[in-house]
Amino acid sequence: MCEQSAVNSLAQDHRALVVRIIHLTEPSDFDSKGVQLFQIDLEAGELAAQVQPGQFVHMALPQGSPHILRRPISVYKRDIFTGIVSLLIQIMGDGTRCLSSLETGTHIPVLGPLGRGWNSGNSHSCLLVGGGVGAAPLYLLAEQLAARGAHVDVVLGAATADLLVCEKSYTGLFSSEHVHLATDDGSKGIKGFTTHVVARLMQDCTYQYVATCGPEPMLKAVVLQQPGAIIEVSLERRMACGIGACLSCTFDSTQSRLRACLDGPVFDGREVCW
Amino acid sequence: MSVNLAVNLGGLGMKNPYTVASGTFGSGREYAELWARHDQYSLNTLGALTTKGVSLEPWVGNPGVRIAETASGMLNSIGLQNPGVEHFCHHDLVWLSSQDVPVIVNVSGHRSNEYAQVIRRLEQEAAVAAYEVNISCPNVDSGGMSFGTDPDAAAEVVVACRKETRKPLLVKLTPNVTDITQIACAVQEAGADALSLINTVAGMAIDPLTRTRVFERGVAGLSGPAIKPVALLAVYRTAQVVSIPILGMGGIRTVTDVVEFLLAGATAVAIGTASFGDPFCAPRLVAELAHWCETEGVRCVSELTRSAI
Repeated sequence: MCEQSAVNSLAQDHRALVVRIIHLTEPSDFDSKGVQLFQIDLEAGELAAQVQPGQFVHMALPQGSPHILRRPISVYKRDIFTGIVSLLIQIMGDGTRCLSSLETGTHIPVLGPLGRGWNSGNSHSCLLVGGGVGAAPLYLLAEQLAARGAHVDVVLGAATADLLVCEKSYTGLFSSEHVHLATDDGSKGIKGFTTHVVARLMQDCTYQYVATCGPEPMLKAVVLQQPGAIIEVSLERRMACGIGACLSCTFDSTQSRLRACLDGPVFDGREVCW
Repeated sequence: MSVNLAVNLGGLGMKNPYTVASGTFGSGREYAELWARHDQYSLNTLGALTTKGVSLEPWVGNPGVRIAETASGMLNSIGLQNPGVEHFCHHDLVWLSSQDVPVIVNVSGHRSNEYAQVIRRLEQEAAVAAYEVNISCPNVDSGGMSFGTDPDAAAEVVVACRKETRKPLLVKLTPNVTDITQIACAVQEAGADALSLINTVAGMAIDPLTRTRVFERGVAGLSGPAIKPVALLAVYRTAQVVSIPILGMGGIRTVTDVVEFLLAGATAVAIGTASFGDPFCAPRLVAELAHWCETEGVRCVSELTRSAI
């Protein structure tokens, strides 16, 4: 068991103001199988100033709803000057659906920043691999890497072209030849998975650092493809407290049973028992 | 008007009737650090701190999904993961001894002599104020709830623990029985100083898309506002038949919930699942209870206990 407590020592419960809900796909009440994405922009200046790439917030649902637990959501973007923190969310159930219908102007408790984020060290050759909504927690890292002039390749994958919602954010940082796309149906980029693109890139370039977030089978495949490099993965688990007390979000590493909320959500990919 | 919030829970003096429910709060460190950053509260805002369950050896807990939300509640299947009593003494208790709050250590075991051995070890530690013997966890295969559903087995554990300590001995009971008052009487007879009511209610969740049970063990423990009426009835009925005090818990999230539990027969209360939605719930309710008593002309909070007609 880890004794660490300093990793999220900035965490506070903010009363964040909902300033925007942007529906990135067609909202639908009935089609639970189709992927639905939306972005929440929060006015939370302190949080915007404090959050590190890969950290998350624990967001309460509106009062009066039958949902008693918060929802852990990685931070997508932040603007230190406007104090806006953006979250990209996929509707997975009633709770995230409830968040998607928050009204502008609502104050909502948001605990954060929480957890341990990405640590790319001084690597100057980096590969970022985002599957689906997993593209979002990599964005602040991409910004950080772009700022220090690292060589970065980004691979984004999704089921269809209209679900590649982060593409423009990344092409704003890097030239489009370094932003590689894959869709299951071939409607944009190559037809296939991110792992196919990763395999091809690996033939041409040796990366010192790889960061990936998305479905676990993809994370596992990326980890297995990268001998040599430092490789970090961001894991998703159901959480209750979000601060390390309740042991709801555990998973097994080669060392011990760890907590995604406090010991992660970013981990050394080779230490995860896949 | 100043309100006296102090209570005595089976020999454990508490400056107010609040503790936290075992398992929802670790050993308090994570919450204490969060509270400190808001410059508002410290653990000694609470009447007592109840730790997560401690067993003789380390327990790894359950594999797979460990929680699921339900309407106004949640299911958990953590399985009493803990690093064992030795680690607990050297780490958690060392830290807790600097926190100026009475510590109730929740004790778990697979067999009655395991509970006794944990207490024997903890008796060496001055930082322990009281014990809460968990014979009611639905999330472990042997021990846990199997003791708490049979009056003789429950009494056997309590007798074994009682021999080890003169400190206040609380026993935490399960609602997953036909008649909780039978178990309560057996436990009182065996030497318990107080009762904790209730542990989680057995339940399950099924994923309709994968057509599988969500939790590997099938069963999980339901907590949160959904179980409050069940807990209130258990406290009320038990208070009619035992003379020892009751620590009431189950879905408490507002000050009126607290008052209801006191009226039903509880001497003190524990805040559990509510801390997940609002990590400041417990200390906030301490202040709110004083205000409620003032408004209602209650000078001494212990007057409320068992006063429901």
